[in-house]
Amino acid sequence: MEESPKQNNLSTPAAIVVAGVFVAGAIYLAAGPANSVERQQPQVTEQQESGDLEQMTPVTAEDHVRGNLHAPIKIVEYSDMECPFCKRFHSTMQQVMDGYGKSGQVAWIYRHFPLDSLHPVKARAEAVASECANELGGNDAFWKFTDRFFEVTPSNNQTDIDAVLPQIAQEIGLDKSQFATCLTSGKYDEHVQNDLDNAIATGGNGTPWSIVVTESGKKYPLSGAQPYEAVKQLIELALSEQ
Amino acid sequence: MAWSEVFSRTPYIVGAATLAIIIFVLAVLLPNFALLNEVVLGSSASPEAKINLTLSLLGGIKTNFSTLSAIYTILIAILVGVNAAMVVYLMRKQNGLAKEGIATGVGGIASGTLGVGCAACGSFLLSTILASVGAASAIAILPLKGGEFGIISVALLGITLGVLGNKIAKPLVCKPKNNHE
Repeated sequence: MEESPKQNNLSTPAAIVVAGVFVAGAIYLAAGPANSVERQQPQVTEQQESGDLEQMTPVTAEDHVRGNLHAPIKIVEYSDMECPFCKRFHSTMQQVMDGYGKSGQVAWIYRHFPLDSLHPVKARAEAVASECANELGGNDAFWKFTDRFFEVTPSNNQTDIDAVLPQIAQEIGLDKSQFATCLTSGKYDEHVQNDLDNAIATGGNGTPWSIVVTESGKKYPLSGAQPYEAVKQLIELALSEQ
Repeated sequence: MAWSEVFSRTPYIVGAATLAIIIFVLAVLLPNFALLNEVVLGSSASPEAKINLTLSLLGGIKTNFSTLSAIYTILIAILVGVNAAMVVYLMRKQNGLAKEGIATGVGGIASGTLGVGCAACGSFLLSTILASVGAASAIAILPLKGGEFGIISVALLGITLGVLGNKIAKPLVCKPKNNHE
């Protein structure tokens, strides 16, 4: 049975309008900041509409640095320990450091970016735990803890942090009792929050979020768990600019 | 069969494939448009280095996408290419008369755009829209964290292709109106 002309006249322009809105929105948004896992709501009074790489907190000896702090290329990674893509990228960065780290060309700096809306409670707790490892065993213990955590845990809120965090601490030789006290002390909450705020201020809206800094201070944003070959190409490009 | 009618013609195969590749490349490179912009416009590196970096970022389909999101991103790219080819064919066949079919096809393409997304975000477009209206947490509570939109887009594109196929397969006739006198 034929549709009435009135129904035909309504559906056609409606479909065109809806489709046009979507396509226009896609074009507009595709030209904007990098797409995101999640628009993290920052703990600040105003939400920045777009990040600024120059807002990145300068790298200092107080950071968690792997490799030569004075390396010509620094890769500052903002990471969520429950994020499966951060887990992948952690392996990629280990591979990077096996090559470029040993030659002193690249330093890897780890900062926290827990995504509370996707990984409530656990991501922050794990960030704090890594800070406690740093407090009790220094920078080496921080990296051992983080490496082991990403190695043994499944991501996406599947980790029993009450069991796993102390277990890893014990495995790497930390005092369990002191570790447990540190975990509940709250002393690193502000530090983790500062890292998170800085990630957002620089334009991070998903994890892993990395900034590659050249010797001249030029910064390149790197969003997501990009493959080793891409990171390598970016490092080579950054090195060629010195 | 509408499919064989359209894709027995080489230009439509080439057009669909080209559009599919473009959409796929855009989807994979989307998370790093800022990086590419900085590298292409702001870097003194050689053109070869810039090209190598751009090509290497395509490997992100393996590392920066979940299995589900990689599958539907590829499917959406293919289906949008096919969809667009069929819309163009329908327009040419019916000399612009098939407004409903064309609108349906464009709607299908738009829904594909909605569904394209990266790694853990499911749909970049919808997540960004929801974030703009303060409903970003709505995605976080979804079982697939937004991946549902990619699946819906694939389904919508499939339905669109079915509708387009029916339109293409219809004979070009004028149906008399019912006269109620």
